[in-house]
Amino acid sequence: MMGRLTRRRLLAVFLATLVAARAFAGPTPAAKDAYLYFIWPGEGQRIKGAFWCRFGLRNMGVAPAGVRSPNTGHHHLFVDVDEPLNANEPIPQDKKHLHYGAGQTEARLDLPPGPHTLQLVLGDADHIPLDPPVVSRKIHIVITQ
Amino acid sequence: MSGETHVESPRRLVTIVAADIAGYSRLVGMDEEGTIARIKRHRRDLIEPTVAEHNGRLIKWMGDGFLAEFSSPVEAVRCAVVIQQSMAGRNAALSRPHWIQFRIGVNLGDVIIDQEDVFGDGVNLAARLQALADPGGVYISGGVYELVKNKLVVGYQSLGDRKVKNITDPIRVYRVLPDPAAVAQARRSRQRLIAALVALVFCSAGVAGAYAWWTATGTVRNPATVSSPLATTPAPSGSTALPASPAVRAPETKEERVAAAKPPPKPAPPREPDTVALPGGAFLMGSNDDPSERPVHRVSVPPFAIGKYPVTIGEWKQCVAVHECPESATAGENDAPVTNVSWADAQQYAAWLARVTGARYRLPTEAEWEYAAHGGTQTKYWWGNEMKPGVAYCRGCGEPYDPHHPTKVGSFPANPFGLHDMSGNVAEWVADCWHKDYHGAPADGSAWQSDGCREHVLRGGSWQNDPSYLRATSRDSYDTGVRYLTHGFRIARSL
Repeated sequence: MMGRLTRRRLLAVFLATLVAARAFAGPTPAAKDAYLYFIWPGEGQRIKGAFWCRFGLRNMGVAPAGVRSPNTGHHHLFVDVDEPLNANEPIPQDKKHLHYGAGQTEARLDLPPGPHTLQLVLGDADHIPLDPPVVSRKIHIVITQ
Repeated sequence: MSGETHVESPRRLVTIVAADIAGYSRLVGMDEEGTIARIKRHRRDLIEPTVAEHNGRLIKWMGDGFLAEFSSPVEAVRCAVVIQQSMAGRNAALSRPHWIQFRIGVNLGDVIIDQEDVFGDGVNLAARLQALADPGGVYISGGVYELVKNKLVVGYQSLGDRKVKNITDPIRVYRVLPDPAAVAQARRSRQRLIAALVALVFCSAGVAGAYAWWTATGTVRNPATVSSPLATTPAPSGSTALPASPAVRAPETKEERVAAAKPPPKPAPPREPDTVALPGGAFLMGSNDDPSERPVHRVSVPPFAIGKYPVTIGEWKQCVAVHECPESATAGENDAPVTNVSWADAQQYAAWLARVTGARYRLPTEAEWEYAAHGGTQTKYWWGNEMKPGVAYCRGCGEPYDPHHPTKVGSFPANPFGLHDMSGNVAEWVADCWHKDYHGAPADGSAWQSDGCREHVLRGGSWQNDPSYLRATSRDSYDTGVRYLTHGFRIARSL
């Protein structure tokens, strides 16, 4: 009886340590070899009018916002964003920070004519960048009329 | 035969996408109503819009699957991949037996198209490919492969020639891999699994050793000194505490379970949010400040009542208490506006309030909201054309400002209609589906709805937006079912 109790206590301590360790870990970990990229458009592309922007992600999965499943995230598209990424805060939501929280892997963009930059940032269930942040290269495109 | 000459041949070369739900009978046997409701939702929110976005046409919906035609094989395969990836995401929150997984076959063929149906070998072949496909997979014919191989950045795996039922010649079959790296990844993940298993074996051996040592030493240490903060943690069950389980931050999937565990509450009539009755009238909706606000058009709004403040956490909690609203949005003071609610959550609250009070509560329409936000003025903001200190809460509206939290409702002056926080604080959901501008918008103040709506409209800007978002005419959009920390809402009531 005694042995059983002790064992149960030990198990509780062991499991609680695991939980505590994860609580202290804070941000959602990224997969080691996660790779975020634009399938289309490419760097320097000149595009006439509206276009479909396609998001590529390797070694992690796309899940809708709110889903807490390991090694998943959802896409955010930064349009003409120059400010550095704040990795500890939820990704802002405005006309320059587009969210694809339903788990979209492509989006129709209708940008005004002229040069633009695009960058993808993966967010966790709470729209917070992963640790380390999973971001794509920033690409430059030109919208022609 | 009709008297009119009909020259158009009903035969056409099209790409056929055939899809069915793997294990449909099992899913229905397990939970008939739930499964059918979920399939309906997937059809409305995912299948129909995705097919339309890829210039396809849904020919037939069979309950456990569908047939669609596309004029472009590239678009057809792309559509199939998007559906599969989206379904994988949607399934991620569920336990494996509840997964709804499509098997999809894509074939290019000469078929006979009828309004309601499509016939011919081309269709049968697509159906055979679909039957070969694994759940969650897309199989394409050799013909489709030849046309898409250099155009789509996905991987393909040749499965060789397959002989299929009732088709004379064997057909060449390819499996679509959503990502070219997927083959290598599949191999790597198997290795990782083996490594994890080995690690687990060692780990359990270690734990067993520790037990042995613990019982052998027989020392009864005071557990409180060993683990005072840990001893208070309720011992989790083994399965939820595995290191591979998702992060511990407020898991939403637990909500229902937590809610279900609570004793049934006593039904007490909820405190209804304060509202202001407005006379309605005609006004000019929109502006030329942003393409989404054009064209400026005349709208007549019938009389209605609208919340004096955004719905507060205190008000939201009454809905949570009776398990009618999700618990995800209850962090904060009772007089703070509720945040982190999706449009669907907001709609759920309004529907609940209408049901328990018998009053016609609902979300305001976009036209009603803009009419109310103007407060009878015609300027950008109800106080004028420029931002000034002490009128609203946002980034750039003035001090004090805390980027992490909204401010309690009614902290800033009301507009001429007596409404607080129309500009700033939380961005507010309205009833309307998002349309990129006002071409084709209704003029009677009703909500602009459309089928398969994926995004709804947000108005008023949030505390994290700059002052341009706080203009009475400014519009923004967000995915219907997704929660975000700056989004809230206020209710309206039909009079």
